[in-house]
Amino acid sequence: MKKLLLVIIAYCALTSHDMFLKLSTYFLEPNKPAVISLYNGTFEKSDNVISRDRMADVSLQGQGVRTAVDTSQWSGKDSITLLNFTTGTAGTWVAGVSIKPRLIEMKAQAFNDYLVHDGVLEMLQWRKDNNATEKDAIEQYAKHVKTIFQVGDKTSEDYKTIFGYPIEFIPLENPYDLHPGHDLKVQLLWQGKPLPNHLVYIGKSVRDHDHSHDHAHDHAHTHDHNHEGHTHDNVNGLRTDSLGIVKVTIDQTGVYYLRTIHLINSEKEGLTHESNWATLTFEVGDGHTHSHSHHTHDHSIDSEGGIPLYIFGIVSLILVIGLYFWFNKKK
Amino acid sequence: MQLKTKILLFVLIIPIVLLAHGVSPEDQAILNNGGLISYILVGAKHMVTGYDHLLFLAGVIFYIKGFRDIITFITAFTIGHSITLIGATYLGIKADEHLIDAVIALSVLYKGFENLGGFEKLFKSSSPNLLMMVFIFGLIHGFGLSTRLQSFDLGQNQFLAKIICFNIGVELGQIVALIPIIFVIIKWQKMKSYDAFYKAVNTYLVIAGIGLFIFQIYSFFNGH
Repeated sequence: MKKLLLVIIAYCALTSHDMFLKLSTYFLEPNKPAVISLYNGTFEKSDNVISRDRMADVSLQGQGVRTAVDTSQWSGKDSITLLNFTTGTAGTWVAGVSIKPRLIEMKAQAFNDYLVHDGVLEMLQWRKDNNATEKDAIEQYAKHVKTIFQVGDKTSEDYKTIFGYPIEFIPLENPYDLHPGHDLKVQLLWQGKPLPNHLVYIGKSVRDHDHSHDHAHDHAHTHDHNHEGHTHDNVNGLRTDSLGIVKVTIDQTGVYYLRTIHLINSEKEGLTHESNWATLTFEVGDGHTHSHSHHTHDHSIDSEGGIPLYIFGIVSLILVIGLYFWFNKKK
Repeated sequence: MQLKTKILLFVLIIPIVLLAHGVSPEDQAILNNGGLISYILVGAKHMVTGYDHLLFLAGVIFYIKGFRDIITFITAFTIGHSITLIGATYLGIKADEHLIDAVIALSVLYKGFENLGGFEKLFKSSSPNLLMMVFIFGLIHGFGLSTRLQSFDLGQNQFLAKIICFNIGVELGQIVALIPIIFVIIKWQKMKSYDAFYKAVNTYLVIAGIGLFIFQIYSFFNGH
């Protein structure tokens, strides 16, 4: 059974239809242009762009203020939806996107397959127990995704802001105060209340620095270069406790994500099922909150975690001039 | 040449090779919004601000004589880095950025050491064939550029075209950055003080190579 679950989890990681907000780095500098990418597909690969009219909410939360983002700032490229924005002042920021509900009709077998693919095991079991595996489905689904990123050095309390989405993850600690070796408790809320005993999938994408490279060529998706220099995810399925909390084991630096689907039978006319999907992404650094080079892939001298560029420049200049005069005098 | 003029030339050349080069969210934003041209721009920016690549090339230019030599060696370097930049990116092969940058730092050290006659003085032997070494270091620098390029979110469409455009940008940036370096070196070659200038800059290359190498290795082990 455990083996089957692992196979399902692995399959889910490669073929699910989730939505994620991602950044090339989750450590940004204040008041600089940046991009948030909306992936609709898997964590690694986006299958399509989301049009603006489908977005019920696009918000940025920082400095205690939630700002609605003008969706005209969204653009699409290579099946990825992109939000270009300028970062604000230093602090922990949250971006959230909620997509309006849509309907999908599925034949019984296709619906069963989707339940397997996306790891909605409770519903699959319910269908088996209630002889419903032969029934076609009309499902109304909506997706609600969030990402937490760090701007500048100073962390803030915005990470725990409740956006009021039907389903959402709320970290109980600031991920940007953590480093490997610490666990992060995350609470899952359904209609604003803790959702107990619910299956949550936790994945991570580790920087190459920490791991040998395992390229996306190994996936079922061939030639996927749409990565960020990460090794592939290790996905774990966990259940929330009685308070709706799951514990994320932070054992390495890298990008972590949580995903879950809340799928119920529906009594609404014309529907058989209703689902709400939630994901949360964030990055764990080495415990320092400054926007250093590890996160920007910038290992050059200018990295904020290293020697400031101007110091390197001044020292080099002094060194060359000093050496010049020394060799000139020695002549 | 007046002292003031010499110092001005130093000041002109140093910032060119010391500017930052890395993958930033700003660059990612440019790539996301600009099509293939943006890859040329980011490639050029990366090379113009790529101090380690330019320090190595400055060392190469110091050694060679005449415009024909410059073309030959720069072409060898260009062929070398184009092979690994395009090949490794297309195939998704990459290394840890700190480690590849550490090797690139060693190439800077190598060139300064060679220019100062280190092989003859220390090993009592002539230095390896420079054209071959420039080609080999070109391959290494290209792998570093590829690793950097792969840090971007490139998307799936026109993948090869994006890599080639980035490479074209690197070549254009290289030309733009090399012009003032060549100008300063050639100008100074006619001066009496060229010997001191030559020794000063190449000693600096050795020190900078060691410093950059230590920095990258330290960063590798300390997770920066």
